[in-house]
Amino acid sequence: MLEIQSARKVFHRGQPDEKVALDGLSLKLKTGEFAVVIGSNGAGKSSMLNAISGALPLDSGKILINGDDVTALPVHKRAVRLARVFQDPMKGTAASMTVAENMLLAELRATRRTFRRGLNAKRLADYRERLSLLGLGLENRLDTRVDLLSGGQRQSLSLIMAVGGKPDVLLLDEHTAALDPRTADIVMQATVRAVESLKLTTLMVTHNMQHAVDYGHSVVMLDAGKVRLEITGEEKANITVADLIGHFSVKTDRMLLAS
Amino acid sequence: MDFIQTTFLSFVSLIPVTLAQSLILSFVVLGIMIPFRTLNFPDLTSEGAFPLGGCVCGVLLASGASPVTAIVVALLAGFVAGCCTAFIHLRFRIHTLLAGILMMTMLYSINLRIMGKSNLSVFGSTTVFDWAPFTQPGFPASKIVVAGLIALVVLIVLTLYFTTEKGTAVRAVGANSEMAEAQGINVWAATIGGVGMASAFTAMGGALMVQSQGFADVNMGLGILINGLAALMIGEAIVGKQTVLRQLAAPFVGSIVYYQLVSVCLAAGMPPPDLKLATGLFVLAMLALPSLRRSRGSAPVREAIRE
Repeated sequence: MLEIQSARKVFHRGQPDEKVALDGLSLKLKTGEFAVVIGSNGAGKSSMLNAISGALPLDSGKILINGDDVTALPVHKRAVRLARVFQDPMKGTAASMTVAENMLLAELRATRRTFRRGLNAKRLADYRERLSLLGLGLENRLDTRVDLLSGGQRQSLSLIMAVGGKPDVLLLDEHTAALDPRTADIVMQATVRAVESLKLTTLMVTHNMQHAVDYGHSVVMLDAGKVRLEITGEEKANITVADLIGHFSVKTDRMLLAS
Repeated sequence: MDFIQTTFLSFVSLIPVTLAQSLILSFVVLGIMIPFRTLNFPDLTSEGAFPLGGCVCGVLLASGASPVTAIVVALLAGFVAGCCTAFIHLRFRIHTLLAGILMMTMLYSINLRIMGKSNLSVFGSTTVFDWAPFTQPGFPASKIVVAGLIALVVLIVLTLYFTTEKGTAVRAVGANSEMAEAQGINVWAATIGGVGMASAFTAMGGALMVQSQGFADVNMGLGILINGLAALMIGEAIVGKQTVLRQLAAPFVGSIVYYQLVSVCLAAGMPPPDLKLATGLFVLAMLALPSLRRSRGSAPVREAIRE
């Protein structure tokens, strides 16, 4: 379960370029719920993800994971319960390390690291099996440095790394936006398979309205640092791209009139 | 012909002495490599940590401490110095190079305070080199054996460490600190510990140097950094840096080869004052090589146009 309670964050407070990134944003995701987050640029999507991961300290408000208050915990401590796939394939992997070493780092995310040998035969076999599920041949390239992989392969690896430890919360930050349509589809299918089979509590930010329609149990629309609209259940199941864009233009018109 | 012969003979006669010296200084090269390559933290602390280790060791030897105690305390002093550099960088967001310059400048005063004077003779004190039973006039076998053994142990231990779960996490901090943090790694702890460890090795090199040469001097670190960098470049060119073992062996191999090259230059009659210029030009050339290669890489495009 993930809960955000009236999160507030203001950048450049008191200066002419003051910007309210999160304006009392509240959101609650049940365990196993897959929510898709949409919203125009500057709506607060990235700020929200950064606030959940701990990269962005809040001015006020709370973040709870499975009922525990994690608001004061730094990024590396929250990582025990939370995994994230970034938009930029370069960000989510260690480029100069091998595929297997990256898998190891992810496996150890939630555990105490010891002075025992990191890569052993048992682990390598496990990585080979998990990577083979992607069907990209990564299972035969465990010793390859990650910077020799394509963007799509790296992003697929990031995904496998993120879902590996069955995190309490999975954050997907436009994780298919930088990929070509075919690769984006492969990564998206792998995402859905993992999220559904492991019943992960997932927050996926996307600009792709078709993805928002096709995937997830609910759609959350952010605007000006708040949740403006939450579509769930029956309504979500029957929604079309046109409906979503309709909501967008209404908001945009209102914003234009207000300014 | 005569020139070549005398150069060759004087070089050969210097090989053992140079080898002993290069093994001792290989710890400094290691102390430069660890932050630079595994933590992505270009660090200048070694210029101050090397004499720090020397001064601490010198004072302890002069006061009658055992040579091992002197080395261990020097190691700890170096560790603290390295931790300070990393902390200055992390806490105050000061560039790593500037943090290193600050630290080495402050260490100069600290080193003077430790010794109370700029130069201290410890000639006649027991050293770790006295324990190896190979005494032969004119041939520093004991130094080669002792320093070589320590180097071998350090190389093996570090290779094992950097492939453990903890060591892999430290390398991840250098490879991508943001990703490391997202994987639950405490970037601060890894950086401070890693840079501290590196400076500890540098200080150990200083302590061994003092026991080898019989005196400590506050200026003994002058130019050690550029020598170390040159040695590292050579080592990486020879053994590469693709695996943990290769990356860790590079400082040792590089140090041995580099100081022999210096010895050749000196034997050939190069005036010692010119050595730093030559070393600097060499490091510059090694660092510039990748960008020169890249511009050569554009050649096929021109050929394609010609076709």
